[in-house]
Amino acid sequence: MWQYEKKLQYPVKIKNPNPATAKIIITQFGGPDGELGAAMRYLSQRYTAPCPEVKAVLNDIGTEELGHMEMICAIVYQLTKNLTPKEIKASGFDTYFVDHTTGLYPIAASGTPFSAEIFQSTGDPLADLTEDLAAEQKARLTYDNILRLVDDPDVRDVIKFLREREIVHFQRFGEAMRMVTDQLDAKNFYAFNPSFDR
Amino acid sequence: MSERSKLLKAVQQYSFAVLEASLFLDTHPDCSEALAYYNKYKKLCDEAKKSFEDKYGPLTAASDANNKSWQWVKAPWPWELSANEEA
Repeated sequence: MWQYEKKLQYPVKIKNPNPATAKIIITQFGGPDGELGAAMRYLSQRYTAPCPEVKAVLNDIGTEELGHMEMICAIVYQLTKNLTPKEIKASGFDTYFVDHTTGLYPIAASGTPFSAEIFQSTGDPLADLTEDLAAEQKARLTYDNILRLVDDPDVRDVIKFLREREIVHFQRFGEAMRMVTDQLDAKNFYAFNPSFDR
Repeated sequence: MSERSKLLKAVQQYSFAVLEASLFLDTHPDCSEALAYYNKYKKLCDEAKKSFEDKYGPLTAASDANNKSWQWVKAPWPWELSANEEA
């Protein structure tokens, strides 16, 4: 069960709309390393995690990712306020606008819609946590690339916050991985699924 | 910065400290130093939320700020610029 809090984790206040920037940022909503995929990955994997600490990490980081998805959507929403058809055409946002107007729809920057094919839930904690560690790095580098492409300080400030969170999550998943391997003996590494084999 | 912005910022800052401590405690559940940090900021967070809700409406649908009238629909939603502005 979840309870919504009517606040963003970190404020989003973008003074200048910029649909070209929105087209880039939206990739962290519905793209291959975006926040929607991150939330669905961890919240799907948590059920079969082998110990309560790892269930807690997946549950709580998965929940935080929902808040990050909301922040990304807030950025896109504010970047696409009060646009004229002329601005929409000139910015290249027209290819999104024709299907979605300024509604929020989870796609990658390339236009590919969100797909559950971008993540796994294997039922094997060593495989899942290895994917989770990679996922945090992939999200971090996507934020690095956004920082290479976007000049607006209002957008950059929020993206820098989200980038930092990927690094903290990577640390927590590393600790979770350590907990799982500490419960196996050396002979069992990669030959035993602690969530399935008995 | 407006009073609403100040109070909201306090809620966001203390909530962040609480969340960060909870994630750390998930993998270090026996760390008493982290638990003391969590308890300190949880108290400040609860107080900040109460101060905000008393003046500017509920942060959750289950809040006491909804008891007399359904204030949940009144204040701006968090993705609106007006909910984040410092003016």
